[in-house]
Amino acid sequence: MNTPLLQIRDLSVSYRTGLGQLQALRHVSFAVPAGKIIGIVGESGCGKSTLISSIMRLFAPNAWVDNGSIVFRDKDLLGLSPDDMRYLRGNEISMVFQDPMTSLNPVLNIGRQMAGVQHRSSSSRADKRARSLMMLERVGIPDPASQLKRYPHQLSGGMRQRVAIAMALMTEPSLLIADEPTTALDATLEVQIIHRLQELQRDIGCSILFVSHHLGVIAELCDEVIVMYAGEVCESGPTRDVFFQPRHPYTQKLLECDPARIQQRTRQLPVIEGSLPNLVDLPQGCIFRQRCKHGIARCATERPLLAGDRHRTACHLSGTGS
Amino acid sequence: MSKLLDVRDLRVRFRLPGNFLSMRGKKPSHVDVVHGVSLDIERGQTIAIVGESGSGKTTLAMALCGLAPVAGGEVYFNGRKLQQDRNSRLNPDRKKVSLMFQDPVGSLSPRMTIRQALAEPFLIHRVAGKNPEEQALRLLSLVGLSEEFADRYPHQLSGGQARRVGVARAVALEPDLLIADEPTAGLDVSIQGEVLNLLTRLQKDMGLGIMLITHNLNVVRHVADQMAVMYLGRFVEQGDAEEIFSHPRHPYTAALLSANPSLDPDAKLGRIELIGEVPSLLQRPAGCEFRTRCPRVQARCKRSFPEPATDTDGHTFNCFYPEPNSHIMLL
Repeated sequence: MNTPLLQIRDLSVSYRTGLGQLQALRHVSFAVPAGKIIGIVGESGCGKSTLISSIMRLFAPNAWVDNGSIVFRDKDLLGLSPDDMRYLRGNEISMVFQDPMTSLNPVLNIGRQMAGVQHRSSSSRADKRARSLMMLERVGIPDPASQLKRYPHQLSGGMRQRVAIAMALMTEPSLLIADEPTTALDATLEVQIIHRLQELQRDIGCSILFVSHHLGVIAELCDEVIVMYAGEVCESGPTRDVFFQPRHPYTQKLLECDPARIQQRTRQLPVIEGSLPNLVDLPQGCIFRQRCKHGIARCATERPLLAGDRHRTACHLSGTGS
Repeated sequence: MSKLLDVRDLRVRFRLPGNFLSMRGKKPSHVDVVHGVSLDIERGQTIAIVGESGSGKTTLAMALCGLAPVAGGEVYFNGRKLQQDRNSRLNPDRKKVSLMFQDPVGSLSPRMTIRQALAEPFLIHRVAGKNPEEQALRLLSLVGLSEEFADRYPHQLSGGQARRVGVARAVALEPDLLIADEPTAGLDVSIQGEVLNLLTRLQKDMGLGIMLITHNLNVVRHVADQMAVMYLGRFVEQGDAEEIFSHPRHPYTAALLSANPSLDPDAKLGRIELIGEVPSLLQRPAGCEFRTRCPRVQARCKRSFPEPATDTDGHTFNCFYPEPNSHIMLL
């Protein structure tokens, strides 16, 4: 329990672009303890997808790792051979994508696809089928036997996402990465899927890295939350602490902007003024400085480091309170 | 004053790929995606259409723009009946209804600069007396983008910027009605706020009627005047948005509102959880279509379809055993 399942240390990833080196991730450090659900929140462009592709080691051709390590069970994923990495993907680390329609194969029926996921297992075809059925049942699909014959387009959105989750958990991985798995669903199905994920996580005992920009879902599902801004972690800690006592000005702003938090009906919704900094030509000092109301002189020169015990914040002003 | 848009009993029906069985009537040959929808929109008003994916929201929008086959019902726009035949694209009213698609980058041509994309509506509709190039720049400033964006291509824009271009294009010809299909899906809360504030400002300035299609209830609560809840191609509850939020009567609406994940990690009490899956449109349940997932279902729901009932505050719902009316309970 003491050594975390996944430990990311000082990870920096860049992309080679026509305009120069785009520093998509800078000095990202966090840990995913075994058996916990960790949420990652942040606006688009904050580096969530780069982070996921780094863990899976599915980099874009123009990406490279500047620095850092991704240690999964005392193995640095960045140093593994392609074959070893391939073995880990699916067996130990698996993934659920945002859009199940595009992550499932449209020309194969569910049964074929679910058997295909078990290609490493030496069990018989009948056993694989039985296992597929059991998995479909576990994710709450009614009448699984008839579903095996159906194609992705014949299923509803909620069903498709359940099938995707069933496939991801088939090998009982120790880490599941879920990239906005409920964005395409309505509120009632969203809650169903989240609860099902929670149950399965408890049964299998895996960890989940849950990426979303839906703050409500994160609040409901996750044990800990990591807030990212422009490629850096700006705050992390137990969900309750971060949502009830946000310390970083960005987290505070983000929470203020969520229409769900605004009790009084209003036509003029709050926004975070300004825009994301240019990641090719990074500003000096704190990355959030230009949009922050509380800036002091030190923010312009010195990059704040993530500090704190369980609830950590990268802000020069944290601790002075606001 | 006549209504901006008046839709009566609209039906949209798609043909299914036929085979021998369907010819003999053993398999359904059609699927009704929108099943008898009535609504009206007044100038300067926002109506939100809420419902899960596959409930027919987008098809309804497409039908209103003449992009989906209408099988029945009538659409009146500014008091005139919209023709649904093939040549109706030439109808001058078409200019007055504009549609913002779900995927902002996908709905812009990747081979056109933003300037060209914004000038295009003027060229297509041969708007006289306006220089399309100048108009493009005017539209950019209208949605709060600087002129340097004019020569960029869609892939060089962020999600929020692409939405803004989508808004600019939709209001280019000064429409009376703007249909916005999931205008904030996939956006972060801050940028979502920016886009919605922009729509609100344009609505105020131009007197736009807005039909907002979304499944984000938090957005609906803040921006909608009217709302309609859609389930399997029908409206199950519709009326004043504030009324519906304060006391929903249809069990689906109630579940939808209570399921809205809240930021408060402790707020899980009092949630109505639905079980089961959305039935297929091909096999609509007999009787009330929500009965397969309804927590309040009774024998009568299986037999007959509930006709619309009216609540004391005037909003309508289709249910035999609605949620108790909190108005009456308070008295």
